[in-house]
Amino acid sequence: MQTSQRKIKLRNGNQMIAEGAIYAGCKFFAGYPITPASGIYKGMIDLLPQVGGLAIPSPDEISAIAYCVGASMRGIKSMTATSGPGWSLMIETVQYALITETPLVIVVVQRLGPATGGATQGAQGDILFTEFATSGGYTIPVLYPTNPRECFELTVKAFNWSEKLRTPVILLSDKEIGMTTETVDYSDLENLIVENREYIDPENSNFEDWKMYGFKDAKDIAKFAPVGGKIKVTATGSAHNMDGELKKNDPETISVLKHLEDKIQSHKDELIDYEYFENPNSNTLIISFGITGRTVREVIRRTKKMNKNVSSLIIRSLFPIPENLFKTISDKYNRIIIAEENLNGQYRRLIQYLFNNKEVIGVNKIGGMITPQEILEKI
Amino acid sequence: MMEKLLTKIDIQNECTYMTKGAQMPFCKGCGHTHILRKLDEALFRIKLNPEDICLVTDIGCIGLADYLFDKVHTVHTTHGRSTAFATGIALADKVLASKKLKTIVLIGDGGAMIGLLHIVNAALLNTDVTVLVADNFLFGMTGGQQSAFSPINFVTQTSPFGNIIPPLDLCKVAISSKAQFVARKISTDKDLVDVIAEAISFEGFSLVEILELCTEYAVEKNKLKGTDLPEIALEHGHQLGLLINEKLRPEFSKIYSEKFMDKPFEFNLFSQFLSTENVNLDQDKFQSKFGESQLEIIIAGSAGEKVQSSAALLCQSAALNGLFTTQKNDNPVTQGSGFSLSEVIISPQEIFYTGVDKPFAIIIVSNDGLNELRSQNYFEKITSDTILIFDESLNMPVLTSKMYKLPLRKSCGPDKAALGGIDFLLNLTQPFQIETFKNLIQKRFGSYENLYKEDILKYLN
Ligand SMILES: Cc1ncc(C[n+]2csc(CCOP(=O)(O)OP(=O)(O)O)c2C)c(N)n1
Ligand code: SF4
Ligand SMILES: [Mg+2]
Repeated sequence: MQTSQRKIKLRNGNQMIAEGAIYAGCKFFAGYPITPASGIYKGMIDLLPQVGGLAIPSPDEISAIAYCVGASMRGIKSMTATSGPGWSLMIETVQYALITETPLVIVVVQRLGPATGGATQGAQGDILFTEFATSGGYTIPVLYPTNPRECFELTVKAFNWSEKLRTPVILLSDKEIGMTTETVDYSDLENLIVENREYIDPENSNFEDWKMYGFKDAKDIAKFAPVGGKIKVTATGSAHNMDGELKKNDPETISVLKHLEDKIQSHKDELIDYEYFENPNSNTLIISFGITGRTVREVIRRTKKMNKNVSSLIIRSLFPIPENLFKTISDKYNRIIIAEENLNGQYRRLIQYLFNNKEVIGVNKIGGMITPQEILEKI
Repeated sequence: MMEKLLTKIDIQNECTYMTKGAQMPFCKGCGHTHILRKLDEALFRIKLNPEDICLVTDIGCIGLADYLFDKVHTVHTTHGRSTAFATGIALADKVLASKKLKTIVLIGDGGAMIGLLHIVNAALLNTDVTVLVADNFLFGMTGGQQSAFSPINFVTQTSPFGNIIPPLDLCKVAISSKAQFVARKISTDKDLVDVIAEAISFEGFSLVEILELCTEYAVEKNKLKGTDLPEIALEHGHQLGLLINEKLRPEFSKIYSEKFMDKPFEFNLFSQFLSTENVNLDQDKFQSKFGESQLEIIIAGSAGEKVQSSAALLCQSAALNGLFTTQKNDNPVTQGSGFSLSEVIISPQEIFYTGVDKPFAIIIVSNDGLNELRSQNYFEKITSDTILIFDESLNMPVLTSKMYKLPLRKSCGPDKAALGGIDFLLNLTQPFQIETFKNLIQKRFGSYENLYKEDILKYLN
């Protein structure tokens, strides 16, 4: 018997990302139409003017992300959204956000690639493409919801982490999550915590020690100074020292370049987000994410009735790779099934080394969602 | 040590925004040096608060300018994109922040071409950005390759026998992009300071293309002197001087703010939920009636005939009864023609997998819909129990034990045929209190009874 204390609306993942962004305090969005991400653009165009924000059409995806970086440098929380072809165009500029330590959320709603591929077909083929987009191999945090409600939650989380770590954060989604309208329960969403970047205050006693890109240790993040404020901003996409000055072969500059990665890695365990279902009698663990995570939930539902023993780990924070979590949980199992809707197991090939001496099985396909049956066959 | 606080700079008495004693990083005689000194003079002339100036530099030799200005905000960007970053900064400042910032782009001719659309769009937006183009007709920093601004017969590293491609008239591009302040000047012009000062003061987009010489790569090969510059421009039909200075359109933020910002914001994400307070859903009863699996319903018809919005009403009524629903729509990329299709799933428990396994029912109201179901192989998924509700004009390629051939189009009209089909299905199977669906129809169309010209519910048996 189910009595409804739920707070229900019919929403798709794209709409919930737009609403999550509004909740997180996003006030600037720049967009360019592309299926299956256009719904986020439309959502922000509808919502931002109602909360005193600005959503602006841009002439291409390079402009979209650059507008967002500029707005964020001015101190405004910003977001853009695209799909594979548009993400291709954004890659130079996301690196600029990374090196200038500019908070920014980029949503990549995956569709079938390569190139124009299948505009209205879902896929999970951009796992490697989103993560390994930087020259130098830097880690960009990547979050990946499984349904519209999680779209809201993880958008808030993406903003929080981009603000706290002063870094671009990617929110991955896919066509099936983005464009399927569902009953969404809003209960408790209004209790999510919103966090903001820390601004440097010139009145503060340690202002003299503050530097644009300064830090004391790996975890330390420089406090933010906006363009247009009282404190001089020296931002640059070139390798720079803590003051933002262009320097070559300079130990401080190298330490700043290293810190860009260290700050992410040292906060790695705090970023972890997952759903674990443990069947104590199982020696098989299914690892999945995004839309495939939902197929796995259905598999678990069915196996419970079939007296089959299997456990599930759905990862919502794909990067930085939660190595410790994978190691601890996989310890209990000797068969690991990794299911993802792409050609050759992109994430599996990255994490396989964590499962030494275990049987690792990939379930992969393109052109449609992985079905419960296709996973059940491997158990 | 440079001053960290821009507010501490006494601009009335300091005569420069530049770093004191800084060495110009350019080759001897490079036009960039002139331009930057003139920019500094222009800034001093308008005496803006240092905190209200943001210098956005591009890549190339001209991009080295940022560290020469220690009394303003500087943002050194990527090749060609400086105007786009500047646009973001200016939009955010003027609409959402202090509204005082003057954003100035320093970009080369190379940067202006690779990032041309950013210039075009900033001009169209008429946001408060000033673009200063240091045009030395070539890529200086990378060794003197030809650019889109190289004159005909110009000898460069990559046009050793003379350039054969005509140069771009950027000012004309800016003007056709509705820019209201555009000038083409020579770096040695006596009034360059005035024009730069005027461009920066201009409320809205402004562009000044400044012709100059790269002493390292242009002079020797082309036997050029600075005094040749006006002639080179005119030979290509590129006009010199202040080309346009008018104020017919307000700056972007003026228009946006008037339209959207001058009002209280009362938006609430957490309102207007579907009212499900009084719903008691008996999951066991539902499952004893329909089995364990979720109800998968496919509705197919033609574009423009409200297939998808009818399916949405079905979902809404199911949700109002406390059920979980999903809806996926499909149509050709040209959305206004061909088929239109919705997949709806209804379940008493949360729906995880959103694909169609075994359709509970298929409603087909037009030939477009039928053909699409065929081509997407939907009929391969049906079972002998699948309910088929279809318009009388259609021939089904399959047989099931539950087939209903109905005059849907004739009775409901083409744009309500899907609604009629859904109503029939609900009456046939009673998955929830179907009054909810009738009420929604009533609300949307005024009356439920008028849905049918001929009562098709009589075909229920
Ligand atoms: C995307 C990209 N492509 C190429 C380069 C290499 N590059 C550095 S400077 C430069 C030329 C700049 O020429 P221009 O804008 O005319 O400035 P100048 O050096 O003449 O002042 C180029 C192509 C780059 N930095 N980024
Ligand atoms: S290479 Fe040309 S543009 Fe660059 S500094 Fe030297 S003279 Fe100036
Ligand atoms: Mg040049």
